[in-house]
Amino acid sequence: AGCTVRAFAWHPHTSKFAVALLDDSIRVYNSKSATIPSLKHRLQRNVAAMAWKPLCASILAVACQSCVLMWHLDPTSLSTRPSSGCAQVLSYPGHSPVTSLAWAPSGELLLSASPADTAMLVWDVSTENCVPLQRFGGGGVTFLAWSPDGSKVLAATPSAVFRVWEAQMWTCEWWPTIKGRCQTGGWSPDGSRLLFTVLGESVIYSLSFSEYRGEMQGQVGGWKTASIVADLSETTFETIGGEIHSMVWDPTGERLAVIIRGHPDAPGSQAVIAVFRTRNSPVFELLPCGFLRGECGAQPQLIAFHPCFQKGALLTVCWSTGKTSHIPFFFVSTHVPCASPSPVTTSASGWEQPLFSE
Amino acid sequence: AFVFFSGLDPFHPVRWMSNSLNDLYTSCVIFCLILMSMVIVVISIFNFEFYAVVPSIPCSRLALIGKIIHPRQVMHSVVHAIMGMLVAWCAAVMMKGKFQFLAVPCTPSESPDDALPQMCLNECHLFFLLSGAFTGYSYSLFYLINNMNYLPFPIIQQYKYLRFRRSLPLLVKRSCVESLYFVRNFCVAYYFFGYIPKVWISTTMDLHIDSKLHPLDTLTGLLDLSLFYHAWLCGVFLLITWYIAWLLFKIYATETHHFPVQPTFAEETDQCLPKILTSNPPPIIKFLALQDLMLLSQYSPVRRQEVFSLSQPGGHPHNWTAISRECLSLLSDLTKRLITQQEAAAANGRAKQPARELKVSPQTPGAVVAEDMSFQSQRSSIVPRASMSSLVKPSLMPLKTSPGSDTGSPFSSSALNGKMGILDVNSPWHGSVQSPHVMRRRPKLWTSGSDLQMNGSHHESFPVLSAARVGSEAVQPGFIYTWLQNKQEQIKSFLSKRVLIMYFFSKHPEASIQAVFSDAQMHIWALGGLSHLVAASFTEDQFGVVQTTLPDILNTLLTLQEVVDRYFKLPHVSSKPPRISGSLDTSYKTLRFALRASLKTALYRITTVFGEHLNAVQVSTEHKKRLQQFLEYKE
Repeated sequence: AGCTVRAFAWHPHTSKFAVALLDDSIRVYNSKSATIPSLKHRLQRNVAAMAWKPLCASILAVACQSCVLMWHLDPTSLSTRPSSGCAQVLSYPGHSPVTSLAWAPSGELLLSASPADTAMLVWDVSTENCVPLQRFGGGGVTFLAWSPDGSKVLAATPSAVFRVWEAQMWTCEWWPTIKGRCQTGGWSPDGSRLLFTVLGESVIYSLSFSEYRGEMQGQVGGWKTASIVADLSETTFETIGGEIHSMVWDPTGERLAVIIRGHPDAPGSQAVIAVFRTRNSPVFELLPCGFLRGECGAQPQLIAFHPCFQKGALLTVCWSTGKTSHIPFFFVSTHVPCASPSPVTTSASGWEQPLFSE
Repeated sequence: AFVFFSGLDPFHPVRWMSNSLNDLYTSCVIFCLILMSMVIVVISIFNFEFYAVVPSIPCSRLALIGKIIHPRQVMHSVVHAIMGMLVAWCAAVMMKGKFQFLAVPCTPSESPDDALPQMCLNECHLFFLLSGAFTGYSYSLFYLINNMNYLPFPIIQQYKYLRFRRSLPLLVKRSCVESLYFVRNFCVAYYFFGYIPKVWISTTMDLHIDSKLHPLDTLTGLLDLSLFYHAWLCGVFLLITWYIAWLLFKIYATETHHFPVQPTFAEETDQCLPKILTSNPPPIIKFLALQDLMLLSQYSPVRRQEVFSLSQPGGHPHNWTAISRECLSLLSDLTKRLITQQEAAAANGRAKQPARELKVSPQTPGAVVAEDMSFQSQRSSIVPRASMSSLVKPSLMPLKTSPGSDTGSPFSSSALNGKMGILDVNSPWHGSVQSPHVMRRRPKLWTSGSDLQMNGSHHESFPVLSAARVGSEAVQPGFIYTWLQNKQEQIKSFLSKRVLIMYFFSKHPEASIQAVFSDAQMHIWALGGLSHLVAASFTEDQFGVVQTTLPDILNTLLTLQEVVDRYFKLPHVSSKPPRISGSLDTSYKTLRFALRASLKTALYRITTVFGEHLNAVQVSTEHKKRLQQFLEYKE
């Protein structure tokens, strides 16, 4: 609320990101090109989420008020206003407003969710066929997160229940929380651990899943209870602490960033980003690493990690003032190196890029 | 359930419930239930006989009419009509009341002459039976036109019960709507033609028409609400049971089947995946095998290991070789098919000139269809060259052909082959420089649609003649042959001016495009399975069996990508067909888009996993440039 940036999405393989603004237009910034295409469509209203298709050059899925728009952009074009003909409209009766999207990491299926629809839709985008996966209880789906290995999907509902689906035979496990709804969640890179937070509580929970071996069909394999791994209630150290608004886990599994909202009644409390150092194997570890704060009066609204930063991790923060900053963390990753395309060139410290030139 | 609804008495609900419950236990009802289960069994047998995994898409209206009057289809319709009548009879009997018997005693007339009550025709019953037959027949027609015999494979795997439960509400709604539609049509038909069966039955069974009651084939007779309601209900019931049978058949048939990769026992050798892919199984088995390949490559590391394993003794990667060879040959077949289509389209564009010169046929790329099992490196080098020099002298290309080979495209019929001249490729003058006169000798295979249909239907006598002629004298160009060709052209241009003929024979462009891609589901799975296996081999392949085939895989995929890109530039291809709202699965209409998307995703999957290491793979220079585009995510 009160922010000019509605949604943010990094391209999974290149240094390109899309930003959705309050006026329902989307701008695509590319580190290699100076043109900034601006995407507008008459059905693109109240954009709530965006996601780039994995294993593709530039197909962007946009969650709008009444439908899901798929923009098929030409990666080499220099036009600043792609026509509405590049957008494919995916709509389903009763499925609006669409607030959350998740692509399968193998790039074939798109999940879309709406808090007003108890069915989660699985889209096969090219044939425009969808399969509704309906589960009553919970009333809609508010948040979707697909594990990076493609095996599980977290679907949070507005009530005190969330579901974890396994993506091979599409069966689900039902997890009741105690106090409130699941606010946000993040998966470890191998899909064996889910960190999630609950509205009204200032702790991070962890849920482990058994190693996916491909032989267990139809079982999600989660443990019986979730364990608390981090307590972020208010501490006296600079009065930082409180509820967690959103959480992202770096694709190498080494850094976790959360936006902590200060208490609304306490004066002068500002939302802050806490960064943790994490490790998933052999044993799960979560250690505090530092805090990020913006300028005076700037609250962090959206955070995202760059999907393929070579030198460590790159955190992008969209502030409520309309600025976007990229903060690099340089470290040697313990992740198995795999070949990736061109690295991102960033300066040593944060890279502030003003969003509006006016 | 039907008994409940038919006894519907909105004003006396309790009496309705008790009456229905009583009715359930009569022997009449039990007998009817047995009869109806027999009907379901017969319908299921028909579903089983008629299914197809590759939809047959009629390209012109004549083909559609031909499909309808095909004897197999006629038998299907007749049997469905009879089944419909049986079900309607059961329903009428179960409902009691005025529908129960065909013959009822007539209302006693005033005159004292007829002391004996005579048997009159119960017209309502007749109406009922005929509406059942009509519904059965309409169902059969719908089945045919909407390609309901096509089995669409689901995009996500689910347990069977969940799939069934998910589809049930839609199915019920659709049956209700369709039944309404059918009954309305039937009322109209009965209004006009109802007297025919009435008169026929009354004369054969010696029943009298009751003059006291209103005859039903008048407007007032047909406006009987209870009759309409009962007929509609019977239709709904019939359709629901038939659709459920069809849905269950679809769900069971498209269930994934687990094919072992490595046979553990000697008897199982025939069932293992590589064997099935390389032999020529019935299409449904091949589809299931490819679907299984797609799933194992994504989800099952154990089975992937079996694919990458070496045989004992000898150390040959038989499994991988068989699987990759089969997938690559599928993909290169598709490439060739698309190229010939493009040639045809290009040739059509240029054939609109008034002069009737026949262009050199685009057979040369297709002529490379030798079924040799060598790897595609040679083939792929021929194919792009063929596509570039489409209409120019093909003489200089190295050809490996078998005489009499044909492009085998969906539009050619055997009659056409005979007529157009089985190219005697080994004839002495084939490789030499072509003179215009000789060029005319090889007419194009793809003329406009009307030409094909014309020639197919009007000139049956000619194929025999010209085949014999061409076969016997391979050296001199036949004068009579060219005269025949000229005559054909004249007739064709004359007939094409008759709008009615063109209405039937003109090819619907969207339908012809769909027909080319009708079995694209196989290729989509082959692409997915192959690319997932290659991506997984980066970390899982211990013996390096995939690396040796990587150049061929990349070549095939990149060639196919080029051809598909060019094909999509043709008119009508990239426009989406209009979506008809409704619960019918029309995924066969958009298979080409799915193919294009999965091809791109497959290429990106390989380039993302291998990254810069792909520069070390031996591919041709054009392909190297293309690969570089993929590596930079510029495609």
